[in-house]
Amino acid sequence: MEGKTKDLARSRHNRRLIVFSVLLALAGSLDAWVFIRRHPTGVLAYALAVLRALPMIGIMADFGLYVAALKDEVMRSIIYQSMLWSIGATLGFTTVWGFLEAFVHIPHLQPLLVMPVFGLFVGVSLFLVARRYE
Amino acid sequence: MKNRLKVLRAERDWSQGDLAQRLEVSRQSVNAIETGKFDPSLPLAFKLARLFEMRIEEIFEDSGQ
Repeated sequence: MEGKTKDLARSRHNRRLIVFSVLLALAGSLDAWVFIRRHPTGVLAYALAVLRALPMIGIMADFGLYVAALKDEVMRSIIYQSMLWSIGATLGFTTVWGFLEAFVHIPHLQPLLVMPVFGLFVGVSLFLVARRYE
Repeated sequence: MKNRLKVLRAERDWSQGDLAQRLEVSRQSVNAIETGKFDPSLPLAFKLARLFEMRIEEIFEDSGQ
């Protein structure tokens, strides 16, 4: 393996991922509780909705920091290529879905589902791109 | 890009893992470079050259020539 640098980058990534995952669960629970029990409106409703998104943004930022800290060129290249393929696939998928929504009236795709869709494409791309370097 | 990494590694009786450890990269990276699937950056090429005590052009073959 890549040694101390990778271990350090990975352990930082793992730590941050745990923190953001806990925050995501807490924000989700808080949001659900408040919206079901208190029915907030106005600024509070906006703030709580954004609060739910922040840990997810944090997870993406953490992944970016992890890739930037990676010294292994091949691994970094695999991740960059996978990201590009995934961005293209996500844009293609959402464009096709958007036209289908407009003209064929299929169910609406919630924008918050775009990130899981992107994550799915990242997983597939990482697997396929990594195979090219085996 | 063709290279002599496999031969140089074999001369020293190093496995891909040994070389990876010395270069501080993954074994997959060594394999990708060795098989010509990935061209290393200039800093990594210099690191290889220092490790094998050779010049870069003695390790990597310029396919443009």
